[in-house]
Amino acid sequence: MKTNCAFIEKILVSFIKTEIHRFGFRNAILGLSGGLDSAVTACLSARALGEKNVWALLMPYGKGFRQDVDDALEVAKELGIHTQVIDIKPMVDAFYETHPTDNRLLKGNKMARERMSILYDFSVRKKALIIGTSNKTELLLGYGTLHGDMASALNPIGDLYKTQIREFAAHLGIPGKIIQKAPAAGLWPGQTDEGELGMTYEVIDRVLHALVDERRSPEDLIQSGFDKETVRRIETLIKKSEFKRKLPPIAKISNRTVGHDFLYSSDRGK
Amino acid sequence: MKIGIVQSAPYLGDVRKNLESHLEAVEKASAEKIDLLVFPELSLTGYTLCDLTQEIAMRPDNNPVFKKLLRESGRMDLVFGFVEEKERGLFYNSAAYLRKGQVRHIHRKVYLPTYGMFEEGKFFTEGRNFDVFPADVFQTGMMICYDFLQFGACYLLFAGGAELIICLSAAPGRGYAPENKFGSSDMWELMGAALSRFTTSYVIYCNRVGFEDGKAFAGGSFVYGPTGSQICCARYGEEDYISAEIHPDALRDARCKRLYKRDDRPEIIQAALQRLIQKHED
Repeated sequence: MKTNCAFIEKILVSFIKTEIHRFGFRNAILGLSGGLDSAVTACLSARALGEKNVWALLMPYGKGFRQDVDDALEVAKELGIHTQVIDIKPMVDAFYETHPTDNRLLKGNKMARERMSILYDFSVRKKALIIGTSNKTELLLGYGTLHGDMASALNPIGDLYKTQIREFAAHLGIPGKIIQKAPAAGLWPGQTDEGELGMTYEVIDRVLHALVDERRSPEDLIQSGFDKETVRRIETLIKKSEFKRKLPPIAKISNRTVGHDFLYSSDRGK
Repeated sequence: MKIGIVQSAPYLGDVRKNLESHLEAVEKASAEKIDLLVFPELSLTGYTLCDLTQEIAMRPDNNPVFKKLLRESGRMDLVFGFVEEKERGLFYNSAAYLRKGQVRHIHRKVYLPTYGMFEEGKFFTEGRNFDVFPADVFQTGMMICYDFLQFGACYLLFAGGAELIICLSAAPGRGYAPENKFGSSDMWELMGAALSRFTTSYVIYCNRVGFEDGKAFAGGSFVYGPTGSQICCARYGEEDYISAEIHPDALRDARCKRLYKRDDRPEIIQAALQRLIQKHED
């Protein structure tokens, strides 16, 4: 995969600026986790709109993610963007007090949606559009919470694989410790993406690139030496998560139906 | 002859605003004594029109926007893109050449990309011709975007005697390139170089910029001379304006040295195509 960082930066900065301004906004808001994707997105937003027009919300669950909060604050300080820390523990715990569960995934999704809910609330308070931070790897694997971290008004990094974002982050001058940090969704302390997926991003991205960008068949990949289990697993994850990349199907009754043949660009009139 | 190329980012579905920016561009160009000013594909409407296509279509003979531009074409020749309702209920992705207050020619896009992210065939009717017409000092032919990548279409303009080929484009950028551009920009430049050299013609390519639904239009508009060398190229992925002098003498010189036009054999091509088509039908 060739990544021309300087040109990608130019296009993505221009994308954020164009989209925010064409809808009559000046500000952007995003969740800053202390990880790589949101750091890159925050940096692009600051360059597109000016650092004083970018709001970063840090939304840890309790005190378990101190290091991530510190890292996020450091990134935000370096960029000069606004920050606000909101602990989501009280709201999440309030729900589970009456509806208890031991399912960590359920809790993780709840936290992601709690953050989404706060972001949308603050997007009105700050007159800001929400910038998404889902990368191409996550989108293809469905490794994100629907209506949680996947919710946004626009997404500048959704066509960049995780490994491309690492290279891109270095170009942008994101601190090395953020780039080298093990990617984690912050679902529970000690959780890492690669631990949970059981594959490294290097391997995943090579397989995804071959399947998606080069449109090679899984059989072809396996024959040319890719690990069979890995290829099959990734293929299944892609297929299983198709619904996360689409709006829900609307049952068609009339001649002209939203989502079927009522066809307009979201940029119309802009 | 001095030409200007407006690498703009049209508003999607707002003809009034786009007309304003056309008029501003004409104003600026007139200070520079431009003879021909070229705008991108669908420059009056924006590209991703979908169902807006039929709501925004116009007829050159009775449209106030056209009237304004016709008046402006007294100052310089104008080439721009719009949705044309040629027959009632049939919509074309069209390019107009206005000269001295008259519609000199309208090209209707023949090759409507309908694959992957492109959906033109769902909304537009296909044009059927690649005509060459006299305008100012050159025999001129027009193409719209994907037309330019069909070498059959390029050949028709060559065989028709085009000396100046104008391509209006709304080409989204995609893929990687080592330089500061999308990989897809290489494709257009390759065709620009090849087409200008092997038709010994001037080639003007005017691409748009801006974003629609996340797609970045790539810019990189250019002019190639009749020897196949690039005369100028606009910036990639941002608004720009470029201008160039083009000369009938340079074209004559190229055709004296390279005899592709003299040696063209349309009758052989036609007979061979006839045989091919008959075979297809068998």
